[in-house]
Amino acid sequence: METQNLLRYFDENLFIPNLKATTKDELLKEIVDQFVNVKYLKNSQIVLEMLYQREMLGSTGIGKGVAIPHGRTTSSSDIMIAFGKSEDGIDYDSIDGKPVHLVFMIIAPPQDENNMYLPILGKMVEILNKSKNRKKLMSIESFEEFKEFLEKE
Amino acid sequence: MIKKELELLVVLQDLDMMIDEISEVKRLGFEAENEENLRKAREELVSKISRPLLFSYEQLKKRYKRAIVPVKEDNTCLGCFIKLPTSISAKGRADSEVMRCESCGRILYWL
Repeated sequence: METQNLLRYFDENLFIPNLKATTKDELLKEIVDQFVNVKYLKNSQIVLEMLYQREMLGSTGIGKGVAIPHGRTTSSSDIMIAFGKSEDGIDYDSIDGKPVHLVFMIIAPPQDENNMYLPILGKMVEILNKSKNRKKLMSIESFEEFKEFLEKE
Repeated sequence: MIKKELELLVVLQDLDMMIDEISEVKRLGFEAENEENLRKAREELVSKISRPLLFSYEQLKKRYKRAIVPVKEDNTCLGCFIKLPTSISAKGRADSEVMRCESCGRILYWL
């Protein structure tokens, strides 16, 4: 999958450059609440339940300051990705024990057109595995800059 | 009451989808070692859902990949993409009973 094709799943309303959360629970709630505030989701409790269960399976904190909480939920009709960052870092129980600074939350419906959910998830891991990308993302302040980053990557 | 039970069924399907995709998610490099935790959560959840509804869910799951599908604001069933009659959507939105799509038979969940 081409990185440029990821752009359609992002939205300025789901770009959170200064996350307030300091813990995993606060973080999941903060981002899900944002999905609800901008009316992309209605039932935050069902989505949070799914995300907590995903964390019970294993941490989505993939190390190097990155977390990608994700999952399919029947309470969503489209794939959506929120991006958030935290200068101070979030206690996330990551696989390397380090605090999380970059967060991509991926929410997908039960079945999506062209089955894009898993390729999107894989592409995000690929992008975030590169140190130069993580560094760049930490310096991004606006959604415009974020779009440019994805277009060029 | 119906809403509560339907929501439990939605949580169950979300859990089942997660269990179904464990190997793919692991292949992408994610940690997903504690499948047992999800199986336990599923057992607990199942005990809270009425037998007839659970039976319908399991039967539909055998027939389709997903037993419950969201209904969009324009009243489209996201299982078969048929527009639902106004009478069904009015009842569904009121959460007065568990509704099924007249076309594909899947259980409907109004977003």
